[in-house]
Amino acid sequence: MNTGSDKRHVTTVTTTRKRTLKQKLIWLGDHFRNEWQIYLMLLPTIIWMILFLYKPMYGLQIAFKDYSIFRGVANSPWAGLEHFETLFTNDQFIRAFWNTIKISFLNLLFGFPAPIILALMFNEVMNATYKKTAQTIVYLPHFISSVIIAGIVITAFSPSVGIVNTVLGWLGIDSIYFLTKPEWFRPIFVGTGIWQEAGFGSIVFLAAIAGVSPSLYESAVVDGASRWQMMWKITLPSILPTILIMLIIRIGNVMEVSFELIILLYQPATYETADVVNTFVYRQGLQSGRYDFAAAAGLFNAVVAFVLVMIANTLSRRYSRTSLW
Amino acid sequence: MISWNLYSRGDKIFSIVVSLLIGMFTIATLYPFIYIAAVSFSSGFAAQAGKVVLTPIQLTTEAYKYILVQPEFWISYRNTFIYTIGGTILSLLFIIPAAYALSRPQLIGRRYFNLFIAFTMWFNAGLIPFYLNMRDLNLLDSMFGIILAFAVNAFNIILLRNFFESLPQSFEEAARMDGANDFQILWKVFIPLSKPAIATITLFCIVARWNGFFWAMVLLQSEDKIPLQVFLRHTLATLSDDDEFAMTQLEAAYSAETVTAAIIVCSVIPVLLVYPWIQKYFEKGILLGGVKE
Amino acid sequence: MTSVILDKVAKSYGNLEVVHNIDLTIESQEFVVLVGPSGCGKSTTLRMIAGLEEISGGTVSIDSRVVNRVAPKDRDVAMVFQNYALYPHLNVANNIAFGLRIRRTPKDEIAKTVADVAAILGLTDYLDRRPSDLSGGQRQRVAMGRAIVRRPKVFLFDEPLSNLDAKLRTQMRAEIKQLHKRLDVTSVYVTHDQVEAMTLADRIVVMNDGYIEQIGSPMDLFMNPVSTFVAGFIGSPPMNQMQGVVSGTPSGKQVMIGDAAFAIPDNISVSDGQQVVVGVRPEHFSMTPDDGSPAIPISLNLVEPLGSEALLHATIAGQPVIIKAETNGDIKHLSGISQVYAPRNLVKIFDAESGVVITGQHGS
Repeated sequence: MNTGSDKRHVTTVTTTRKRTLKQKLIWLGDHFRNEWQIYLMLLPTIIWMILFLYKPMYGLQIAFKDYSIFRGVANSPWAGLEHFETLFTNDQFIRAFWNTIKISFLNLLFGFPAPIILALMFNEVMNATYKKTAQTIVYLPHFISSVIIAGIVITAFSPSVGIVNTVLGWLGIDSIYFLTKPEWFRPIFVGTGIWQEAGFGSIVFLAAIAGVSPSLYESAVVDGASRWQMMWKITLPSILPTILIMLIIRIGNVMEVSFELIILLYQPATYETADVVNTFVYRQGLQSGRYDFAAAAGLFNAVVAFVLVMIANTLSRRYSRTSLW
Repeated sequence: MISWNLYSRGDKIFSIVVSLLIGMFTIATLYPFIYIAAVSFSSGFAAQAGKVVLTPIQLTTEAYKYILVQPEFWISYRNTFIYTIGGTILSLLFIIPAAYALSRPQLIGRRYFNLFIAFTMWFNAGLIPFYLNMRDLNLLDSMFGIILAFAVNAFNIILLRNFFESLPQSFEEAARMDGANDFQILWKVFIPLSKPAIATITLFCIVARWNGFFWAMVLLQSEDKIPLQVFLRHTLATLSDDDEFAMTQLEAAYSAETVTAAIIVCSVIPVLLVYPWIQKYFEKGILLGGVKE
Repeated sequence: MTSVILDKVAKSYGNLEVVHNIDLTIESQEFVVLVGPSGCGKSTTLRMIAGLEEISGGTVSIDSRVVNRVAPKDRDVAMVFQNYALYPHLNVANNIAFGLRIRRTPKDEIAKTVADVAAILGLTDYLDRRPSDLSGGQRQRVAMGRAIVRRPKVFLFDEPLSNLDAKLRTQMRAEIKQLHKRLDVTSVYVTHDQVEAMTLADRIVVMNDGYIEQIGSPMDLFMNPVSTFVAGFIGSPPMNQMQGVVSGTPSGKQVMIGDAAFAIPDNISVSDGQQVVVGVRPEHFSMTPDDGSPAIPISLNLVEPLGSEALLHATIAGQPVIIKAETNGDIKHLSGISQVYAPRNLVKIFDAESGVVITGQHGS
């Protein structure tokens, strides 16, 4: 027979099992002998990331250099903050920066509530087939490439053939060449974004709604609440944490305007309202070859974006226990 | 959910109104596609006169004939398939083993590897350094370059890693005690158990590849390497101000608009064909990523 | 012929030690059950034997070979998991054959072995089914089939019955016991259910807070618990424990609980006025003064009939006790009970502070 209880009286001698260096090496040897496969599995991705994502970060130094194609990144002479000085006195860049902020803000104001409203509405649809069909259709534009979206927008808003001007014609309004008018660019761009993403964006909120306990609704019904009241008093408060997280993510991504679509839709006549930092970088760097200057603009954009993402993640951690990644 | 028959009159009206609003939004989503399809089958004359609203006017397939005889269209279509299939397979070859390794608690430095990968989601060097890097690597105007340079994506790795971590530990432990090594565990246990998550990632890869446009436009110069989206873009950009094209279209019964629409239809059809098959996965899949308890 | 020896085995996570210097020798073909409340370290101990947890200190030997640095697959042990870990994408036959396939056993041999195992477990008709199409008990059998198919030297069971309902659990318990008789393989079984431990084990190891409290045969643990912890853990309902004070009388030693006197064996080394805990099993109370022990007044609160027996919920000098009494088909006569007897030899005395049992010859 073995009595264990008396051991508890021996006030626990702090049993720190510190390994000696030799033991550690033996342990590491065992570890890699047994587990080398998982390191092998990770290796290709690590190499890839160094080659395609971290090496360009090293290449960012050209933002502080007089970059010459022939000398390469490392050997080009330093230029200090020259490019940034040029940048911050460049009207086009400043305009592009504010355009980025403005377009993002409009996206936030109109594009953010859209999927929430859509999800709340889907939740009220009773007929399952109708709901499923509608969902299938509204998710679809998310999977369509920006080139096609641009093609559709260009065709639909065309002054001669476009359906929009055709309808305006019925109402007796002269046709407008929308895509050449700076004042129309942002509404069209933001509207297109809602059309393309509101449906897909609603998935997250629908999942949150699905997680609400049915007994909450049942007890509300017993209390005599209407569907309208339940939407406001139960559904919306229940998905508020999700809304908050998605909002924080959106704020973190303010600098990421989908510039692909802008490149496809804008033209010199609408640069005034349409040009954003990334399109500016694209024109200056890839089209005009001012690599160092464009890299400086890109770096500025990336740093602002990074700070915003970090703030967003901190906020998300504080408010929701969940980190975004 | 509470049964419809137990709804009050007010609730029924509310539900019907909401359903109608949903219907309107759905139609608004669908309409541009119908409109484009209608334009593509209309005569150039009807399209130019702005007569097309819902159905084809002066039904014709001339626009399609114009597109389908162009070898460039077929080459770009083929290229898109190469980029999509090759790129997706390569992506999975990178992502699945990496996600598995990152989900193993025994991986030394796991936290740092995770950080190393996640950092690329928060900070991006940007267009110019990426482009110059591609040039340094001699991957400009290279089909392999396109496939390789966009193979890995931190978000997809994290999404799959989260899924792997959610699987009961005992699956791995049982296999390990049965004598399986990590490659066997991944191949015989984890991959079969993770079909929904892998399908989701495959879907994301396919969609990204099929729609990929910007970098293909920037990195590829040769006509015989460009994917469909770039071809589409070229056609869209050149058709409208192409004088020669303007001359021919009067007799040919097609116009820049109908040809554009026809190309759009040709490009969307494959997406529509696979869409119902993948739809069941992405609703679940989208929730696997990012936000983690 | 495989024994498993744990020598001062410890497990720590960082600075937190969860298993402390466990010494345990499991004999060849023995069925040992590790039992204890959740968090007592029993599963961790099992997983160290399996090789799923690293051993922080001490050594584990299987078949006289120290296996601390041996990978699980090379330890020749098999484990049945709490959630069975059946692969949902494989049918029963392939689930059972998984380990053999991995070890590249020839195909015809796999087929034969799987058929044999299926026959033993009564799974022959279910070989083509997926785990999702099986009942809980069948899944449990497949999980065992996967373990026995490899003919390992040691079976490890990690709470294998906890996902089953009560009736099925009883049935599977019996099947596991029969299987062990038939295969005669050294087995280590972890559970938090003391009934399972009592019914299955050759020897039970009671664990608490990462220490072994007591090792012994089921009846040994039942009759001679070494501590209040074991006394409170083994038996259903567990042993009653009452605070009391020792006082000597001319007729022998006794413990006073309020006004109630419990006669205790004379040779127990306690002194007058010592604070102790008196332990009496519910089934050891008697309605008749068989050995001349004094009557103990109780105040009865509730009678719970179980069938042939009933549980009397009562208090002795304000301290709650449960008494098991025979009903003889009727509980009316039980409701009037106002006194019971506690046979002197069945009364256990524990130190009030440490909870350690105080025995006759060699007090601890």
